[in-house]
Amino acid sequence: MNDKLARVTLASPLLWLIRGWRDFVRHPLPGLLHGLSVSLFGALLYAVADQQFGLLVGAFSGFLLVAPVLATGLYAVSRELERERLMSLAELVALWRGRDSRLVGFGLLLCLAGTVWVLTSASLMVLLSPAPINTVADFLRHVVLSGSPWLFELWVLLGGLLAAPIFASSVMTLPMLLDRDCSPMSAVRASWRAVADHPLVLALWASLIAGLVLVGLLSFLLGLLVVVPLLAHASWHAYRDLSASASAASSVKER
Amino acid sequence: MMDNALFGLTEDQIAEFGLTFGVAAFILFMLFIVFNLARESKAGKFGTFVLFLVLSFGMLGFIAKNVIQWFIHL
Repeated sequence: MNDKLARVTLASPLLWLIRGWRDFVRHPLPGLLHGLSVSLFGALLYAVADQQFGLLVGAFSGFLLVAPVLATGLYAVSRELERERLMSLAELVALWRGRDSRLVGFGLLLCLAGTVWVLTSASLMVLLSPAPINTVADFLRHVVLSGSPWLFELWVLLGGLLAAPIFASSVMTLPMLLDRDCSPMSAVRASWRAVADHPLVLALWASLIAGLVLVGLLSFLLGLLVVVPLLAHASWHAYRDLSASASAASSVKER
Repeated sequence: MMDNALFGLTEDQIAEFGLTFGVAAFILFMLFIVFNLARESKAGKFGTFVLFLVLSFGMLGFIAKNVIQWFIHL
């Protein structure tokens, strides 16, 4: 394995984003279609849960947990771009129609985790906030602009604590399931190992993802059009580097 | 969340149950990961990851809050 490829450093997340951006620009249509569907789905969630803010936040964050499954098509686009090939939309549809049972199974597990997340996040909001919060305006007034200075930070911090195990279980899993013929559990284990091997780099990567998604959400969901494909393509490159680093490490051990 | 009661429980009671159940589920999941990694003596590093993730999320929250406040006051 190429040493240069195998090295994962604190600069890697930035490199993944740059490579992801290049993939997006080289073949923008699939990315834009994915981004558009996510934005529209977000708008639908907003229309349904507008008056129930706890549920809205839970639904958005729960949806983000499941997003890696939806991005599988873009991992495939990135993989084909590595082979200097542009994947057609028909091939993408065929990929989804193949209904890989491992991908569906892992997707269902993520949905379950997402549901527990919605429950927890909504409950946290009810118990922490000084006043009932039903709308986005209530949230801004009572939590973001509130007199109690650390309420918002505490809420985000607790969110981070809940997100950690899910991120750790999915950072490599879906690209790996697409790329190799392995079981979901072995892909999840590889993901945990990657997190333990590069704790700082992957904590930085998770924060970058959260920050970019936040920008996408705050721009009235429009930013998601670009953020979703950018992160999906970048996740493919993250998987590539992390798995190269893992196999380089195991070959050193074997020697 | 609605003001009225559901199944004879108040909103606070439901929230408390949700939080207890939800956090317990996540902690169990975290323990399972740590248990799995402990066999390869990598559990400590997973702890480092969680710590850094939580701290950087807190920082992100702090930045986001200031940006939103600045935006609203414009």
